[in-house]
Amino acid sequence: MTSRRDFLRTSALGGGAMALAPSFNQLFAASSGAGVPKRFIFIRKSSGIRPLEMALRDFSAKDKALDEKKEPLQVDLAKHELPKWLRGLDAHKEHMTILQGLSAKMSENVHYSFSSVMGCFKSNRNTLSAIKRATIDFELAKLFPSPFGHVELSFAGGRTGIVSGYSASAPQTRNYCYADPDTARSELFKSVLNPEAVNSDNDMLSFLQSKEGRKIGGIKGPEKRRQETHLESIEAIRERNKKLIAISGSLAKHLPELAPVHANGGANASTPEKQAAMTDVLISALKAGLTNVVTYTIDDLGTPITGLPGNETDRVGIHPLGHDEAFGGVPAWKTREQIRISHVNQINTIVEELKQTPEGSGTMFDNTMIMYFPENGETHHGVGKESPFLIMAGNNCNLDIAGRYIRLPYLGNEGHKTLGNWYTTLLNAHGNPMEHYGDLDLEMARKKLDQTGSIKLFMA
Amino acid sequence: MVVFITMGVEEFGQPILKGNFLTRKIGKVSWIASVFVAILLISMMGSARSEEADSTRAFLISKKTTDLLDSHCYDCHDGDTQKGDIRLDNLADLENPKRLDLLNRMQEQLYFKHMPPKRKKQPSEEERKAILAVLSAELGVHGASTLEGKLEKPEFGNYVDHEKLFSGDYADLPGFTNDRRWLISEYIFNAKFQRLLENRTQGKRKGERLTVFGGSKIRDLSLTNPFLLPNVSGVRYYANEDLTGGHLSSMLTNAQKTSQYITGYLVKRNSKYLPAINEIMALDDQHEATLSSRRAFLKNFIARLCSELYGSRHQSFLPAFAPVELKSVKELAEGEKYKKAPFHVAQNMLKGLEGDATVYQFLLEPQHEGKPDEEFRELCERTWFYFGDHERKIQGRMTILRDYLPDIRENLIKNRRKFKPLVYKPLDEAEMQIIRASIKRHRKKGDHYGALIERCVTEWEDGFEKERIAAGPPSDDLLSTLIEQLSVQILERSPDAGEADQYLALSKSYVSKLGKLKAIQKLIQTFILSSEFVYRQEFGAGEADEHGRRLLSPRDASYAITYALTDQSPDEELVKAVADGKLKTREDYRREVLRILAKRDRHYLIDPILADKNYQENTTNAAIRKLRFIREFFGYPAAITIFKDEKRFGGDRLGNATSRLLSETDRTVEHILENDQNVFEELLTTEKFFVYHDGDNERMQAASDRIKRIFDHFKDLDWQNFKKEDLLDHKEFLKEVKMRSVDPDKLDARNRQGNTIQLFKKSMETITARLNKGQKAAAPYDLYRGYGNDFMNGYNVSKFFNFRMDNWNYETIQPAKVAHRKGLLTHPAWLIAHAQNTETDPVHRGKWVREKLLAGTIPNIPITVDAVIPEDHDKTLRDRLAGATETKYCWKCHEHMNPLGYPFESYDDFGRFRLEESLEYPNKLIKKSPDKGQLLIDTRDVYETHPVNSKGYLKGTGEESLDGEVKDAIDLAERLGKSRRVRQSMIRHAFRYFMGRNEFLSDSKTLIEAEQAYLKNGGSFDAVIVSLLTSDSFIYRKSIEN
Repeated sequence: MTSRRDFLRTSALGGGAMALAPSFNQLFAASSGAGVPKRFIFIRKSSGIRPLEMALRDFSAKDKALDEKKEPLQVDLAKHELPKWLRGLDAHKEHMTILQGLSAKMSENVHYSFSSVMGCFKSNRNTLSAIKRATIDFELAKLFPSPFGHVELSFAGGRTGIVSGYSASAPQTRNYCYADPDTARSELFKSVLNPEAVNSDNDMLSFLQSKEGRKIGGIKGPEKRRQETHLESIEAIRERNKKLIAISGSLAKHLPELAPVHANGGANASTPEKQAAMTDVLISALKAGLTNVVTYTIDDLGTPITGLPGNETDRVGIHPLGHDEAFGGVPAWKTREQIRISHVNQINTIVEELKQTPEGSGTMFDNTMIMYFPENGETHHGVGKESPFLIMAGNNCNLDIAGRYIRLPYLGNEGHKTLGNWYTTLLNAHGNPMEHYGDLDLEMARKKLDQTGSIKLFMA
Repeated sequence: MVVFITMGVEEFGQPILKGNFLTRKIGKVSWIASVFVAILLISMMGSARSEEADSTRAFLISKKTTDLLDSHCYDCHDGDTQKGDIRLDNLADLENPKRLDLLNRMQEQLYFKHMPPKRKKQPSEEERKAILAVLSAELGVHGASTLEGKLEKPEFGNYVDHEKLFSGDYADLPGFTNDRRWLISEYIFNAKFQRLLENRTQGKRKGERLTVFGGSKIRDLSLTNPFLLPNVSGVRYYANEDLTGGHLSSMLTNAQKTSQYITGYLVKRNSKYLPAINEIMALDDQHEATLSSRRAFLKNFIARLCSELYGSRHQSFLPAFAPVELKSVKELAEGEKYKKAPFHVAQNMLKGLEGDATVYQFLLEPQHEGKPDEEFRELCERTWFYFGDHERKIQGRMTILRDYLPDIRENLIKNRRKFKPLVYKPLDEAEMQIIRASIKRHRKKGDHYGALIERCVTEWEDGFEKERIAAGPPSDDLLSTLIEQLSVQILERSPDAGEADQYLALSKSYVSKLGKLKAIQKLIQTFILSSEFVYRQEFGAGEADEHGRRLLSPRDASYAITYALTDQSPDEELVKAVADGKLKTREDYRREVLRILAKRDRHYLIDPILADKNYQENTTNAAIRKLRFIREFFGYPAAITIFKDEKRFGGDRLGNATSRLLSETDRTVEHILENDQNVFEELLTTEKFFVYHDGDNERMQAASDRIKRIFDHFKDLDWQNFKKEDLLDHKEFLKEVKMRSVDPDKLDARNRQGNTIQLFKKSMETITARLNKGQKAAAPYDLYRGYGNDFMNGYNVSKFFNFRMDNWNYETIQPAKVAHRKGLLTHPAWLIAHAQNTETDPVHRGKWVREKLLAGTIPNIPITVDAVIPEDHDKTLRDRLAGATETKYCWKCHEHMNPLGYPFESYDDFGRFRLEESLEYPNKLIKKSPDKGQLLIDTRDVYETHPVNSKGYLKGTGEESLDGEVKDAIDLAERLGKSRRVRQSMIRHAFRYFMGRNEFLSDSKTLIEAEQAYLKNGGSFDAVIVSLLTSDSFIYRKSIEN
């Protein structure tokens, strides 16, 4: 007899049966856009980013005082040394922004924020009904359509296969994500690796089209029109599948190669290996034009971590580390720093790779924004008073933020900005004129402080 | 030429206006009569107008039309004035998209009589119709008219003239609904998948667990519901939505996941579930079971088996042992602190590395248990090494053994009964012979056990595959059986012969291309993606009557009835009625509707969102859609979606309080529906409410009595200075009444809130506060606030009703009267649902009353208006709102809303009654309160206040005695409760809810009879439902020509 656990395991690994990536389906309505698209990569990390970890060590005394008092300031990164863990990005300081002072109290915090950090609502411990709106990544994906629309990658919980994700394409809708590099590769490049799966869908759709088409003869008026709409919908999905197969040639040249250790979920791959492989798949998907928006949960509190410098033979847990409980004789803060360095290494790889890939009169990176941020605010048990962001953005970025350390006014003060303001800025700057994205902050509301709209300071 | 435009406020039949107006046929000339927006003389159009639809020709306006526009529009909308940035004197010069947009706006404004403004000279009815006809014709040519789609929406239902509907002048018009399909709702989607996947939902009723219908969860399967209804107050589920590509895409993913769930889990758990699948997969399953058994045996006993097979030579076959290297532990730098991760973390890590079983098994064996740590670790490592586990895995395990082995040993001693030793049990001899033979064939020197097992398994798999190929594909009979079973399980009917043949051909094609398992999955997906699965069918059948109407087909009728009252498919009795030919008359419908309404043996989850928040008691045993109508009509469930501030609430756990508030509003409504007398009046004027009460008076009384007993027992004692040992003097009492986390047998126990004596004192503090002021009873919540399960969550729901946590005279018998409350419009749930985040909302509250209770209409807010209430630290919200809206331009609409919303200013945005309004601005702060919530402390800051002005004005009941100035919300509620128009308006909304469409004059008889049924039966809502569901409008269907 198959147990539930067996089922979950096999179905998670049985991605071959999924003819289309789930997130692809969610963005069905998207049509292909013209011109060079903008790209967005959201990298979620767990256990918070402490604002002090982002602070520059060589601030002037005046700036240091402002930063510590959490008062607004702007500093040119070119004139300063980055914190140790960020130094992997030294070569790209002119494209870097360290953004401090955003608050995230309207999303869920403490250990997990689930969908809420990218949707600005309370997630009621990840219940479906609490998902109030499409998350920001999906909103951006609508503006820059692509064959897959949106791709979600995740190492959350140490899972493998296709599993539930944290992004949402619409209210009360949960996205699905690829939880290991092998699955991500085989699903994203399915039309190259497994065209039979796509074809089998088309056989089914063809049958349905024919069956539903026969009904047209027996109905009239509005019902006939309704049935025609139905047939058009089926046809549109078939067309989409055909396009996928048609571009499989160009996909093939971007097909990433993975080491054998990643096969079947990669149970024995170390964390740096897993991260590097996932990053490879991510870059390949972007280069192949499969998507313009990627959300990458690089870890959560359940992600097993192995092979980090200093803890090479240990398996360490992010949750205990957040409580300063350590492994292998290495103090927790050092291991936490190594984890962040491993993340920065991935960001660096993405930046370097995209900078080497020509696009238009520049490179792919020119049209790309990478955002690295904590899913739960300012500490391991964040409350959302602060939510630091590290942003890497290319020359064509629609925002005026590059090369700066920016601290915005603190929560509850005039001019303070929330995650909602930040996401509104992203949307407004890229063609969605939405007045405000997300729930409002109640402390700002109580104090009658203005808190809607984009961050004007950033609008180029 | 004369063109008839079949459209109008006073529409007789169903909207039949899709496509091109000019080429549309009109069914009955008699319909057109005097009330259709009527006649257009072609002479009004330019001479270039062609009879044929020609979307490329120039746009011309006749002189007559120009004159009309000049008389009534150009004053404000010509090149000079352009009020609202609208100019109408250059229509012919505009590009088509702009012109069509403007024509649509003109059509809408004229149709709804929003323009010309009331203070301006109005066109005659004939003139208005003539301009409308021109606009309709032009928009029709381009297929660009948007009005018809709007008219199908619930929010436009009130545009049909109320007086005419109930006048009786149109009661002889034959009622009917068009033949139609109706997209399933979010609730039916859930019910369909729960039925299909035999999923059971757990709920509670009065503290008892039970299985309920409803909810959105399916165990271990997460589906995307593409049929979510709009989150609005009012009727939400209408038959005017089409299935789009977005729906279909989500359904594609749902179908894929469901097919995997069925084949991978359900059929294996339940052999009676779609048995044809197991039959087709029998050989595969048998092979899989055999492989699984052999693999499991070898995984546990390969070393022993090899030792038996190879004797003294066994060791020589093993690979040379190479221990892993572990990273050395460095000394800490000076001043550096190190806190080792606790054992439970390491234990989980070991489990994650799949090393725990080996370690504990060895520790359970006497010969290994006592080995020194070093020796024991090597034993484990050798075992893993010989098996061929990955070096990194072994490293991880060995690190844990290095750092935690003493803890592991201690854990085993503490929890020995949890660990079972693995006992050697060979498979049957035939299997053992196969295994031994295979090992002998494949074992090579230096082999790790894991590699050896894989070679054996590969050999067996190859053999099995050949066996399956030789067995051939499933027979046609078996596939046909599968098709029959899937059709019944998914579409709830057998396929007809033609369909069966088509599906058989498809199945064979799937099998040949995909293999058996994937073919079955694909077939399941094909059924789920059928339009029949996502559309309700409602078509007439049989002979048409003299009006061209036919009764719903019996099968469709069974679904129409069940989906009117529940989300579930027809029950056994309905299915039987169809099979026995007993769903063919109005009386048949009445019998079934009455039966379902009377049924009390099913329980339904009311709100999946509350269930997600652990409010499993949010259930009812009456037909769920009856209660849901009241929920949606009043819109109070939105209370849970309004993001509110705990500090302003006065304490923490606001989410719990709001969930309970909502759940108890449902209980109040259920109580009124269950009594079924004067239902509409009761909903508007009831004085009885539930506040922290589950409806079981006996249970609540007992729970409250317990707290009173504790108070009485300790009140005269010096409990504040008790030591823990003092509790032993009250051991018998405490054993009998039980205080939470105060067990006299476990005085040393503690939890995150404190130790036993601390928790006792915390409890006593709250009990004392709740009973030491002469209160007759205390609310039965647990005795201190802590983690875990309370008796009932959400005790702070009391705050919405102005009950202080430290002085609440609890009513054990409920529903009970609550001061300053009368009817649902004064209930905090409705008030919150119709409020802003931090303020009340007189405009939307007034709009709600106007539209929902008085059958009135309010135009959408003009796009040129920036609807913001200005801040003013010295004024109440009402005063600020009045300043912004009582200007001439705004008041023409706001006069229909504000006076109806102002009376609710007696309540703040949390629904709390008030006489004074706080001016919540920093410069008005009088006293700062603690920010962090505590049980007995109010966290609200104190501000300067201004008196509340709750006076309003009621106009539009049609009765002089009721219209006029109202002093507050209670006065308003009492008047509304007496209004005939309010009753009729609620019946109109009930019509829309149960029919899934707006009403027309041809439904006049249906509405009048529903009202009469209500009155004749003492204000029974059940009587209204029976009347509606046996009306011509429900039972008769008519097909529509193209």
